[in-house]
Amino acid sequence: MSAPALALDVPANRGRWAVVAIIAALFVLLLLSGVGFGSTWIGLDHVAGVLLGGGEKMDRLVVLTLRLPRVVAAALAGGAIALAGYLLQRITRNELASPGVLGVVDGAALGVVLFLAIFSNESNALVIPVTWQPLAAGLGALLAITLVLTLAGRQATSAVRLLLFGIAVAAVAKALTTIFMLIGPIYQASQATRWLAGAVDTINWGEIQIMATVLGPLVLLTGLLARHLPPADLDDVSARGIGLNVPLYRVLVFVAAAALTAIAVSFVGGVGFIGLIAPHLARLLVGRARLAGMLAAALLGGMMLMGADLLVRVAFAPIEVPAGTVTAIVGAPYFLFLLMRKDQANG
Amino acid sequence: MDEPSRIDIADLTLAYGSDIVLDALNLSIPRGRITVLAGPNGCGKSTLLRAIRRLHAPKSGYIMLDGKDIARLGSKDLARQIGLLAQSPSAPADMTVEELVRLGRYPHQSMLQPWSARDTAALERAMDGTGVTHLRGRRIGSLSGGQLQRAWIAMVLAQETEVICLDEPVNHLDMAHQLDCLDLVTRLNREEGRTIVLVLHDLNLAARYADKLVFVHHGRVVASGGPDKMMRPDLIAQVFDVRAEVITDPVHGRPLCIPLGRATGQASNTAPTKLGV
Repeated sequence: MSAPALALDVPANRGRWAVVAIIAALFVLLLLSGVGFGSTWIGLDHVAGVLLGGGEKMDRLVVLTLRLPRVVAAALAGGAIALAGYLLQRITRNELASPGVLGVVDGAALGVVLFLAIFSNESNALVIPVTWQPLAAGLGALLAITLVLTLAGRQATSAVRLLLFGIAVAAVAKALTTIFMLIGPIYQASQATRWLAGAVDTINWGEIQIMATVLGPLVLLTGLLARHLPPADLDDVSARGIGLNVPLYRVLVFVAAAALTAIAVSFVGGVGFIGLIAPHLARLLVGRARLAGMLAAALLGGMMLMGADLLVRVAFAPIEVPAGTVTAIVGAPYFLFLLMRKDQANG
Repeated sequence: MDEPSRIDIADLTLAYGSDIVLDALNLSIPRGRITVLAGPNGCGKSTLLRAIRRLHAPKSGYIMLDGKDIARLGSKDLARQIGLLAQSPSAPADMTVEELVRLGRYPHQSMLQPWSARDTAALERAMDGTGVTHLRGRRIGSLSGGQLQRAWIAMVLAQETEVICLDEPVNHLDMAHQLDCLDLVTRLNREEGRTIVLVLHDLNLAARYADKLVFVHHGRVVASGGPDKMMRPDLIAQVFDVRAEVITDPVHGRPLCIPLGRATGQASNTAPTKLGV
């Protein structure tokens, strides 16, 4: 009896991983292009040469100190936010859930703005190491999601209620962020505005190192947590019926999603809609399989932010437009499309 | 009843906030039998079933499974002993039947115990027993009501629990599928000796399939026993507010209730009823 089951499974599996492989290949291509494009074009072969440890001295300088950091940061941050979105969409069983919609992005942003306002001196320099910034973002993100969950209370099982509370908390966090920027030192405001929209152009290797150090264990933890996502696909009663401790599991997943979002937002700002679209596309492309889905979502998320950054560099140079504006311009209509489609499905 | 009980409920009070649903209830669920909980809408029978599966924490009292308080069992441990089919379960529309049934094996797996031949065997048996093997690759969203219900029952069967609770399993099914479903449950009970607890609100279906019938009304167990003892016009009037005649089903030899009309005003010994329709 199990032979036909296997025969059925294998091609589906192969197809799924072939799609992931294609996405990964595009990801690498985009990463190389992201490094190649700029005020001067550096050929992809030169880029690859530098990345593999060779290359000319001039190329090395431009690639390694100017361009690669922002591309890597975009890839990491986009991937982290997409992964958080994947977790949230599955645990709430709602394709409209995302770190942005649930207030996590704005909570993290508020944490960072407060951090900058409190710990900066007159000359706009931090008085404590930047290492603490993700912690501030994490606190803000956790506070936001805790607030959403507490407000939703017993209604937390209802995805719609959760989203409504998330939107409300996000609005409050956003308003507070604006207030703190206005009453804070004026020399920070213009910098913070750009950063709030999401930008990767000012990032350096030190910050990327912090990002990667935190992301490593976090992604590992997420992988372990994800083992229990399939039972969580069922309604609460059925999921608990087969032995999943749903309330505890939901909290753990929310915390993981908040942490993933926080680390990204803390360094590149509040990039919108990646956490919504990337996991949704991943599900369209590879189906419900969780490992392939998570990988695809992370790669797509990274690609979206790299692509957005590349676009603003090419289209708007020499003005640095925040990459987050591109993701928002593309993302908002997609969100509306999903909303309208969901309405149709419901009625 | 002298039969050994599988589940003993002692002094159980269930509440939603401060609204008490069931008050100081005592009940035993006999091992290897079909027990049916029946009663009018809102009497608390579904809440009782959920409490048995520990989905509703008691305000006070105990539920003992083989003499052990279920409050002390781990989530997966309990899920290996009591299975539950929820009243209106839901799964993603793009999930396949096989994926759904596989989830029934979740409590048997852990990081140290990945999917094994035993799990495959249980999966195939569950799909076989419910007749959904040929639907294994179909998406949940494309199934008919009867097929969907069978797929869910297969999921609960794959759990391989000794006790199976089903909350109104024949709701929204047509007559043929109602019989299919309950015959399947009976077969599991007779052939494999599983203990079954059902919530049904069709009294005649309850009388036909139950070994033990439990009437729940106004937050307490009004009476419980075999269908012959329970299907009495006075008891039916008291619990369901229905004036009825009870005859013997000429085919199955089970009691059959023929409702004649509202009992209110007729059975003067009943408490004033708050029932709506």
